[in-house]
Amino acid sequence: MTESDGFVDQAMTGLAEPQPMYKAMRESTPVLRTPQVVVLSRLADIEMALKRTEVFSSNMDAVDLGNIRPMIPLQVDPPEHAKYRRILDPLFTPREMARREPQVTALVNEMIDRFAGRGECDFHAEFAVPLPCTVFLQLLGLPVIDLDKFLEWKDGVIRPEGATNYDGRHEASSGVANEIYAYFDRAIDEHIASPRDDVLTAMIDSRVDKTPEHDGRPLSREELLDICFLFLIAGLDTVTDSLDCFFVYLARHPEHRRQLVAEPDILPSAIEELLRWETPVPGVARVAMQDIEVGGCPINKGERVSPLLGAANTDPAEFPDPELVDFRRNPNRHRAFGGGPHRCLGSHLARMELRVAMREFHRRIPEYEIKPGVQLAFTAALRSVEELPLVFPPS
Amino acid sequence: MTRVSVDTGLCTGHGRCYSLAPEVFEPDDLGHCTVLVVEVSGELEAAASIGEQNCPEGAITLSL
Repeated sequence: MTESDGFVDQAMTGLAEPQPMYKAMRESTPVLRTPQVVVLSRLADIEMALKRTEVFSSNMDAVDLGNIRPMIPLQVDPPEHAKYRRILDPLFTPREMARREPQVTALVNEMIDRFAGRGECDFHAEFAVPLPCTVFLQLLGLPVIDLDKFLEWKDGVIRPEGATNYDGRHEASSGVANEIYAYFDRAIDEHIASPRDDVLTAMIDSRVDKTPEHDGRPLSREELLDICFLFLIAGLDTVTDSLDCFFVYLARHPEHRRQLVAEPDILPSAIEELLRWETPVPGVARVAMQDIEVGGCPINKGERVSPLLGAANTDPAEFPDPELVDFRRNPNRHRAFGGGPHRCLGSHLARMELRVAMREFHRRIPEYEIKPGVQLAFTAALRSVEELPLVFPPS
Repeated sequence: MTRVSVDTGLCTGHGRCYSLAPEVFEPDDLGHCTVLVVEVSGELEAAASIGEQNCPEGAITLSL
């Protein structure tokens, strides 16, 4: 086993500080073949793989989460993919997300109210987990009382028990996946019966395959379900991961945290830099559609390929002083949300949630630290922590 | 004057340009980039350049 294989094994079991691993991989084996996947760690290769979807497909063979049809739009490639993004992109623009900001601000403050006076909290369980999930329920117009059920489901598909490799995943996730389909099937019925101002109603009312001559057609029930399934997978865990990563970093780097408190205007740029440095979703999944060579390494048709976004984001070919976390970094062309046609649909929702959470938390609790003696355990694949006990002066 | 253009085939809606330089770029209904001011100089040129340099897709071009 090479040094890089060892690093990849560690990454699979969760790594507190993956950046040195990214550097080692980029410098020693930028195209690394492991038994399960070919990992790309140079920005140029990653960018190429993200853009050339006809060679590196994002279809159902890239990752199996127990879904019975392709998740839309992630597992549909161009040109078919564009018709779905044409409907969905307008629902997730920065402007549309700004409209939801007051509601999210109120929610964040309610959550902080619950622990501010206590002087300590488990940031992960009391904030990072429930925030994106509640926002998701509100956005789709689903009852907030379903929160716990949703949390169970998303863990059931993202971190299924008993699944130790790619091949065991389908069986481990399929039971939960069926429950998810059934839940959204009922939710769609309810939204058809009583439409409201939410994303699910907008999807039901939308029309695909529009041409100048034709008004197109509504999304089929299956298409609606396949979009909802993806939302659940993509929209909940990722923001939890980002919040965990960001607050661990800020707890450990008080000078950066104090900069945020002293210069609130820097927040949007600081969020971009933390997205770059932490890359909470460290890699994405693709599958080779043909035999191809990348950086002198042959990749066979059908092989799984993982562009390692975290490695792209610390590549000195793009970022001067990549190890330096600079809240004023400019330019900052990070790829934390991927790139190319499959650029994260929810990126502006994520940014809005992160902005509100960081702004309100630091306004109310500017000083905090990780509870002394606590050893943080990072989760595999997507970078959250098992728990994040913070202590702070009660207010 | 410098001319600002966006390759709509490359833009995928990261939104960095119009977030950082709203005086030069604006979003369309999809949240993709459209160029608000095509001919720029001075402060507008500096803003356009920030938008160009921060585009993860390299979709924006400034030309003389």
